[in-house]
Amino acid sequence: MNTVAVYRVCLRLYPRRFRDEYAADMALLLSDQLQAEPALRVWGRLALDLLITIPNHHLEAHMNRHSTTLVSWVFALISGAAAIVAAILGSVIGWLGILLAISAASGITAVVAHRQSRLITGRPASANWWKFLAGGALTLAILAAVTTRTGELPTGWWVPSMIVLLAALGACVAGAVLGVTHLIKARSGHLMG
Amino acid sequence: MTRKRKPLPSASLHIVLALLDGELHGYEVMNRVAEISNGAVRMGPGTVYGTLNRLLDDGLIEETTDRVARADSERRRYYQLTAAGRAVAIDELSRLRRMVQGASRHLPDPATT
Repeated sequence: MNTVAVYRVCLRLYPRRFRDEYAADMALLLSDQLQAEPALRVWGRLALDLLITIPNHHLEAHMNRHSTTLVSWVFALISGAAAIVAAILGSVIGWLGILLAISAASGITAVVAHRQSRLITGRPASANWWKFLAGGALTLAILAAVTTRTGELPTGWWVPSMIVLLAALGACVAGAVLGVTHLIKARSGHLMG
Repeated sequence: MTRKRKPLPSASLHIVLALLDGELHGYEVMNRVAEISNGAVRMGPGTVYGTLNRLLDDGLIEETTDRVARADSERRRYYQLTAAGRAVAIDELSRLRRMVQGASRHLPDPATT
């Protein structure tokens, strides 16, 4: 295995995006260096370069990653899972309350985390219209499933159910309004562009 | 009101100054940096391309590979300063000159050494 081939193996230690973009150029640069200087001297400098730049590029890649995107997805999954389990254990009132509380709290956290990640990416809020619509529709469906399964709502559950129902309807309306706004923006942008 | 820009990090500064003469590819950048620093700064491929990548992101340099037909049998990527990059390079040179002027009184007098 020659020097450049060994270096190509070392290049696998860089973050994928950086590697995909520059690995070929870096290997070419090394072969140019090897034609002009003794291999031992080049490798001495190269070892130091690898030692310093690999952790540095990983750190940069990590800092550039939108960590809140992952957080929002995790909490959205927890929220969905809790809602599904609540629908299954609908007849056990205590569990139903706990699971719906977990689902609501996780849902709110997911929305907050998603909004933060959206601030980083700079996407307009109206681009997410379908998420409001889907979230509202999903909540309505879960509410319908839970009330169908439990039959008449027990005392004390009417108010929270109505709040959830109104929130779901609100999300649907917000989704529809944002969707129309997005459509108008997209059309005007297309006409202007 | 214009915001005061932070001085460029060492690797970026050297590459920006190296590109003042015109477009270069990675290996030429490395050699030019060694030349202008009198051999004191010798960058490896990871430093050269990591810094070029950062300067591209900051809009201080641009890739010019596809603008001109090249004689290279191997496809190399060429880079040059943008207008903003050139302004930053000139700013950095002025800053370095002011710094040297300010501190040069501490240098021993050539007549006495």
